[in-house]
Amino acid sequence: METLGIFKDVETATRAVDGLIKAGFREETITSLTSAPYPDGVIVKTDQRTWFRWMSAAGGIFGACAGFLLAAGTAYVYPVQTGDKPIIAYYPTGIITYELAMLFAILGAIAGMFLEMKLPPRKERPYDPAIADGFIGISVSVPPGDRRNRAESLLKEAGALRTTSEETL
Amino acid sequence: MEKITSPYKWGMVIDLDRCTGCGACVVACQAENNVAICEKKEIAEGRNMHWLRIERFWVGEYPDVRVRFLPVLCQHCHDAPCEPVCPVYASYHNPDGLNGQVYNRCVGTRYCGNNCPYAVRVFNFHDHEHAWPSPLDNQLSPDITVRSRGVMEKCSFCIQRIRRVKEDAKAEGRMIKDGEVQPACVQTCPTEAMVFGNISDPHSRVSRLSRSPRRFQLLENLGTHPSIYYLKGGGREHV
Amino acid sequence: MSEPEHALAAKSAGQLNDEMLSSMRTPTWQWYGLAFFLGAVVAWGISAFTYQVMTDLSVTGLDRPVMWGIYIANFVFWVGLSHSGTMVSAILRLSQANWRRPILRAAEAMTVFSITVAGLFPVIHLGRNWVVYYFMPYPNQRGLWPNFRSPLLWDATAITTYIIGSSLFLYLGMLPDLAVVRDRATGWRKKVYAILAMGWRGTAREWVVFRKASTLMAALIIPVAVSVHSIVAWDFAVTVVPGWHSTIFPPYFVIGAITSGVAAVITLMIIIRRVFHLEDYLTPLHFDNMGKLLLVICLLWSYAYFVEVQTTWYAHEPIEWEVWSFMSGKYTPLLILMLVGNSVLPVTALCFKKIRRSVRAMLVITVLINIAMFIERYLIIVPSLSHKNMPFVWGSYSPSWVELSVTAAAFAGFTLMYTLFAKFFPMVAVTDVRELGVRHTDIKLGRTKVHSLSEEE
Repeated sequence: METLGIFKDVETATRAVDGLIKAGFREETITSLTSAPYPDGVIVKTDQRTWFRWMSAAGGIFGACAGFLLAAGTAYVYPVQTGDKPIIAYYPTGIITYELAMLFAILGAIAGMFLEMKLPPRKERPYDPAIADGFIGISVSVPPGDRRNRAESLLKEAGALRTTSEETL
Repeated sequence: MEKITSPYKWGMVIDLDRCTGCGACVVACQAENNVAICEKKEIAEGRNMHWLRIERFWVGEYPDVRVRFLPVLCQHCHDAPCEPVCPVYASYHNPDGLNGQVYNRCVGTRYCGNNCPYAVRVFNFHDHEHAWPSPLDNQLSPDITVRSRGVMEKCSFCIQRIRRVKEDAKAEGRMIKDGEVQPACVQTCPTEAMVFGNISDPHSRVSRLSRSPRRFQLLENLGTHPSIYYLKGGGREHV
Repeated sequence: MSEPEHALAAKSAGQLNDEMLSSMRTPTWQWYGLAFFLGAVVAWGISAFTYQVMTDLSVTGLDRPVMWGIYIANFVFWVGLSHSGTMVSAILRLSQANWRRPILRAAEAMTVFSITVAGLFPVIHLGRNWVVYYFMPYPNQRGLWPNFRSPLLWDATAITTYIIGSSLFLYLGMLPDLAVVRDRATGWRKKVYAILAMGWRGTAREWVVFRKASTLMAALIIPVAVSVHSIVAWDFAVTVVPGWHSTIFPPYFVIGAITSGVAAVITLMIIIRRVFHLEDYLTPLHFDNMGKLLLVICLLWSYAYFVEVQTTWYAHEPIEWEVWSFMSGKYTPLLILMLVGNSVLPVTALCFKKIRRSVRAMLVITVLINIAMFIERYLIIVPSLSHKNMPFVWGSYSPSWVELSVTAAAFAGFTLMYTLFAKFFPMVAVTDVRELGVRHTDIKLGRTKVHSLSEEE
């Protein structure tokens, strides 16, 4: 569903984006592919909101429960008297709860991040290795047909070095 | 979670005014508990395996020299610093008030040995499998294990003797009588400087002696609440 | 701020990639030689350790009462070193300091490798290493869980968390760079990098999520790092051993860790810069700024140490003062080396811009700091144990050849992991450095053209 055009520099890439928007393509369907992050709006405007931090929070809560059960729960179920310490001791329970909360918060953050990025991808998407060396890709999400051809010609007019789309992968 | 209680709370009293420093208790402990016989080299390296040591202090200048003896063994602290630090529960507090050491659970982190302020815990740095050259291996007690290398050990108040007496008493349906259970050191002491018994029984000999005005405990300021009381007085000095 | 950007602005993206990824070229015979030598030291250490496991712990120098020796000094040292990457990387990310960019990868990799080495030592020093699984909490027919009241279990939990956390932190930071490497690789390497890069394409949305995730991870990993070293400090501080039972230990250890870590990052930067010809990317400016950070941390460390000794001296509790006198009497040369290396030299020398910008001077200062930090760990552990509460059992300790071999193998193993990492993974944060080029422009302001940099959101 994507058509990708490769451009030499920022000027030609932004010319392409302007051309596509003028021709009626919605900005949400256009995105840039770069190997270094450009500030928002320089090439395309993107939604800046993310939700993966809630997965991190969920992980943290799960971890806290797991830690509490591990430190306090196992001590309660198999009580062994050691020194003057109570069977369920505050500080050790607190420490283990905290550590596991952080561990699962971190795991949740990473998992959430990948989920939100939708990586690894289920099907192959258009890409060009030149992007790694500083070329900029402009990708338009458009179903095959007239609109697709229009997008491709607009990209070429703006100065794309080459275009690829899913069918040619 | 119910608390397991026991009618016994083992304690000991050591009368330093009676102790002659003969060391018979050390030998008895070694014989009773399969304590490894160490070579001279090991002892020089600081790796002796004595569960009970007689500390000897010289006081004064010649010709007015005096010597003081202090038998130090596991104090079986009620608030033992060695117990909470063991990561695998090899060191724990038993309902009888003993500090238990479980040899087959010990992983050998030696944290308990570091945290014992009395330094009574000994570690098997050497492999003592062949520490009893024949025919000394005939003396090994079958009631207690021979510890492998990498395991911490210490005085257990001859728990094997306590267990045996408990079984006999249970079979006869009675409580343990005062003086019936005697650890090897207590049994051997020629001057009866060491007395052992049930401290929670106010009429036992050890209980009465532990209320003596001559009593003190080692390193009281650390708040470990040992089960062993030392008696020293005769007048002036304290150890 | 202007020097690196001007130098880099003149280069094309392709050229920047080539230079920053130069470490990943086909290995030279020098690389093989180094790897082989380090591998040999590691093999020697492993054989020494095997000898220890097959015989018994008497091959070490440990005795009663010094039951922890150089193995635990190693453990604490390597955990301290692992604070390098996370602290440097996370703090600089969160404060949005631009000069962090070339340094990040090296620092984060250092964290992962040093915490890995650190995690080995609690297993190495055990009396019965083969039952180390008793530490693990899982339902079993022994009817026992491990004792979470023990600081050693807190250690195990914290180090597990930190290894996983810092590895993920390193991987996360590397994600866009792995995509760059994937695009430039061929053959089996391309397949491996493609798997690692998880299909990253660099779309605008991916970058937005990536930036937020990096910030969140940085914010999460800092508390973990602080807690890890505090927990290691509690191994000592919660005991009744005189000289260990001190409330300043957790903050003191964390400060020491940051000192050690920052110094190690600087040392590593110097080595990488030389070996991989990254002079344009790791400029005297970076050393200047890291030097300032190091100065502040060394001042903090000096303060903490001063406070520690001063309270011991003033209250003059007999056994605590005895431990300090014994340490300063028996280990005087080590103590002096430690104070000079950690405190006197850095605090005086790093005040001067010329010294901070001199790569040679920084190398000497930072290597000395880490030697001094190792000595500091040793001087905390051994003298306190030598002179505990009962004078009749005072003892001493000196490390044996087995322990020294394992220590050497730890250093060699760390360096070897680093050498291998540098060959297979991008050592400089490529996309991060190029981000600077992307954001910069020259605008006309008044009578002249001014160099301007757009800020991160």
